[in-house]
Amino acid sequence: MVNARYLLMGVFIVIIGIIFAVAFFPSEEKKVKKRFRLLSEWVSKSPEENAFTLLQKMKDIGTLFSDPCELKASDESLSGSYTRQEISAHAGSARSQFSRLDLAFYDLHIALPEKKIAKVTLTSRLTGKSISGEQVDEIRELECLLKKIDNTWLFTQIEVVQVLKK
Amino acid sequence: MFLIRVFLVSLFAYVFFGYLCIPFIIQGISMEPTYPNGGVNFCWRLRYLLSEPERHDVVAVRFAGSRVMLLKRVVARGGERVEFRDGRLFVDGKEIEEPYVRLPCNWNLPSRRVEKDCVYVIGDNRSMPVENHHFGQTSKRRIMGGPLW
Repeated sequence: MVNARYLLMGVFIVIIGIIFAVAFFPSEEKKVKKRFRLLSEWVSKSPEENAFTLLQKMKDIGTLFSDPCELKASDESLSGSYTRQEISAHAGSARSQFSRLDLAFYDLHIALPEKKIAKVTLTSRLTGKSISGEQVDEIRELECLLKKIDNTWLFTQIEVVQVLKK
Repeated sequence: MFLIRVFLVSLFAYVFFGYLCIPFIIQGISMEPTYPNGGVNFCWRLRYLLSEPERHDVVAVRFAGSRVMLLKRVVARGGERVEFRDGRLFVDGKEIEEPYVRLPCNWNLPSRRVEKDCVYVIGDNRSMPVENHHFGQTSKRRIMGGPLW
């Protein structure tokens, strides 16, 4: 009877240990996913957003990117290398054109070819309403490269996959 | 026995409708009038298992992830030259009859060669300006299949 009680306690401790390990020592994939979650949260905008939140989000968005970060898109005017400050400024300027904005990521495929490099293929969907009342619904496939710098995963390169080439 | 039947039916439905015959809703007017906006269809994944997409075939092109597809028509294959003159399609300098294009079109597009292992896809509705229509060359690997009807 005593042995059974010790056994149960042992199993309980192991389960608690596993939960603790999963919660406090997330895998690299989870850490990468969290960066996307934060990007989605900070880009998204609700109609009730106040000026303080707006400024904080603008500042926070830059911290997700390496300095510089490269953007590749079929639109030549968008492609290029951007500093954190430029990313924050562009994000703030783009967000100001919308009264509501939602950025969501789906189908994340994360590969870790090297210890500090993550390649992620995903679907991004941007929905919202511009200040002029126009509805926006843009879906794109993205290929992102993240590097672990100072123990933090940072977006180093974002490529918009060109499906159709005119 | 009942539970086993339910399980088998569920498994079959999951595999069939999840991977082989994927239901989709058409959003947009680019394939009108052949496929109207809001229509429902199925993407048959095995359509090009043993054959290659041919000119005039309607195909589902994987656009993003596994859920977003573009429904387009193949007008030219790898190695062919495609161009538009006053809304008429020319492939390798020869005019192609397109009975499925029923809306007026006045596109002009300089000649371009379709790369190897690619196809050139366009929607049937070309009534909008050429820059507003989503079309072009895509890799054959992105073709997920064709609509059931």
